[in-house]
Amino acid sequence: MLIELLILMPLLLALLFYFLNGRHWVEMLTVVASFASFIIAIMIGVDVAGNGPISYWLWYIDSLSVFMLGIITFVSLIVSVYSVSYIGHDYSEREIGISQVKMYYILLQLFIMSMLVVVMSNNLGVMWIAIEGTTLASTFLVGFYEKDTSLEAAWKYIIICSVGIALALFGTVLTYASSIEVLGESSDALNWTTLRDIAPLLDPTFLKIAFIFIVVGYGTKVGLVPMHTWLPDAHSQAPSPISALMSGVLLNCAFYGIIRFFIITEIRVPGFAPDIMLIFGLLSLIVAASFIMIAKDFKRLLAYSSIEHMGIVCLGFGLGGFLGIFGALFHMLNHSLTKCMMFIGAGNILQKFNTRAIDEVKGVATVMPITGAVFLLGALAITGSPPFGAFLSEVIIMQAGINSGSYLIVALYIALLVIVFAGFMYHVTKMVFGNPTEGVSKGEIHKFSLVPMLVLLVMVLVIGVFMPAELTDFLEDVARIVPGGSP
Amino acid sequence: MSSEVLTDAINGLAAIILLTSIVLVASKRMRSLVRTFMIQSLALGMFAAVVAYYTGADHIYIVAVLTIALKVFVIPYFLEYTIDKIHVKKEIEPLVGIPMSLLICAGLAFVGYYVSEPIIASGDAITKNCFAISLAVVLIGLFLMISRRKAMTEVIAILVIENGIFLGAISITYGMPLIVEIGVFFDVLVAALIMGIFAYKINRTFETLDTTFMRRLRD
Repeated sequence: MLIELLILMPLLLALLFYFLNGRHWVEMLTVVASFASFIIAIMIGVDVAGNGPISYWLWYIDSLSVFMLGIITFVSLIVSVYSVSYIGHDYSEREIGISQVKMYYILLQLFIMSMLVVVMSNNLGVMWIAIEGTTLASTFLVGFYEKDTSLEAAWKYIIICSVGIALALFGTVLTYASSIEVLGESSDALNWTTLRDIAPLLDPTFLKIAFIFIVVGYGTKVGLVPMHTWLPDAHSQAPSPISALMSGVLLNCAFYGIIRFFIITEIRVPGFAPDIMLIFGLLSLIVAASFIMIAKDFKRLLAYSSIEHMGIVCLGFGLGGFLGIFGALFHMLNHSLTKCMMFIGAGNILQKFNTRAIDEVKGVATVMPITGAVFLLGALAITGSPPFGAFLSEVIIMQAGINSGSYLIVALYIALLVIVFAGFMYHVTKMVFGNPTEGVSKGEIHKFSLVPMLVLLVMVLVIGVFMPAELTDFLEDVARIVPGGSP
Repeated sequence: MSSEVLTDAINGLAAIILLTSIVLVASKRMRSLVRTFMIQSLALGMFAAVVAYYTGADHIYIVAVLTIALKVFVIPYFLEYTIDKIHVKKEIEPLVGIPMSLLICAGLAFVGYYVSEPIIASGDAITKNCFAISLAVVLIGLFLMISRRKAMTEVIAILVIENGIFLGAISITYGMPLIVEIGVFFDVLVAALIMGIFAYKINRTFETLDTTFMRRLRD
């Protein structure tokens, strides 16, 4: 019942917004609904914690789904609150009209809905449909400003992701084919739970080819190198709240698709999937680190940082063992919270300075003291400095590498993290300090936008300093779902 | 009908699907591109219908009807409407010359057969030969995507890739569960519509559909 409610609510809201005229009503309903979604997600989580996985009809929810649900609904709540400030500012500057504001909130609801379906569906085909749905719902959001650059980004986004997703469909078909000799043509043969139960009997040739197609296909949406080329464009051209949602949640959703196939493949042919993850992880880290060094646009800088972090998560799964998988999951959470905070900061800077060029932004700390401070702390957090959450998860993944004896990979990993830290701080300190760019008036752009930013800052600090025992227990529970993830 | 006739029909239709994708690569005009795509989709729909008759799996009939309805009528009609509306120059302007493209396609067809060898060997379904063709069609679709400059050809390329995947899905698994098939069709339809709208917007903003002009976002 709660599952249907969670999915129907955004759909009904999208319909309602179509007929509603007042901007304030739309904004208020968006925030209230996303708060309600968060509460429902927690209720589902409590249910799963008490009674075990929920499974009926199309749905299957275990603690991995609950983990993703938590991230999706929480970041959506933050983004909804920030949208009121960001889109409200664009509207009052007359950059966009009321019909565009309405379209924004309608597509936002559809975008969130399709992501919720991704993590709750049991059927891998339905999951594919939902992941393609996230692309379709967000294309117009990427091209929201209808400028030449945003159209270019949107076109690249839909074409590259559609091709990638088509390859993932091929992978799904092959996985289905691998089960046919065991199950016959039964209609639940695409259900993840069914496939997991009969995984030791599946055809290994089909399964291996399928996993490669899945990693390349869904990996396109995760932003793994070399399928990442749409990501910096889309993240830099989309309105900042959407960038935050894409980076913080959408990438994780696509990664969730890979994890589900990873589990099945790992049961049947152990050792095959982690190797592929290692290759893509390292490649993403290397390329992202190089582009972070030479970044000229601060939203693209953040986008490359997302590629870097998805590479780290890949590396965690590749190194495996309890620490690797626990660290990778934990890192997904840290990245979501921190990157969302960074994109909010970047949005404020963009609206204040009216430029995305790093060179043209100076003295954020003087112009907007709170945004500047949070942006600087956020940069420290995202590059994995103590005492923030990402530091812990990066160290855990490093420990996983040492435990598995892959010293060369660990050395490379540490070197790349240092390069990323140096590059990132070089750019961010130039932006935050110094004399303000001329012609920029002092004062925060919108007081309201500081609330979500500060909430996120407190959260990554609390996670980094205290690491609540409940969170550790929960993540251990999630890691147990993946083969080799038991402590 | 005897099973021999059916096998011939299945193989013949698969061959038409492969041939049409090669014709697509050789097409010089936008309209013939859309027409060839229609023929390919019609062959795919008939292929699904024959497989449904052969295996007695009723839900594949629905796939056949949906394929013909969407990919022979709705999507091509919409694409032609878009092409008419933006008065686009009708030539395709390939980045790779047509003779060279055809050679590459022949190579890709070989790759399809070579790669699918171990998979075909292990199975017994009569349609498994078609798996090699489906791989070849996907590869040719990918080649079409990278070697042509117009936004509309990129849309056709994606649809061809999807046709290849459907051919593969029907031939090695006799079709996926119905709810999945319907969802996939819905996604393909919406994707084609959105791409059409964007092609229109790109033409309005850049005054061309040539995607090589879109080079502003780079590092």
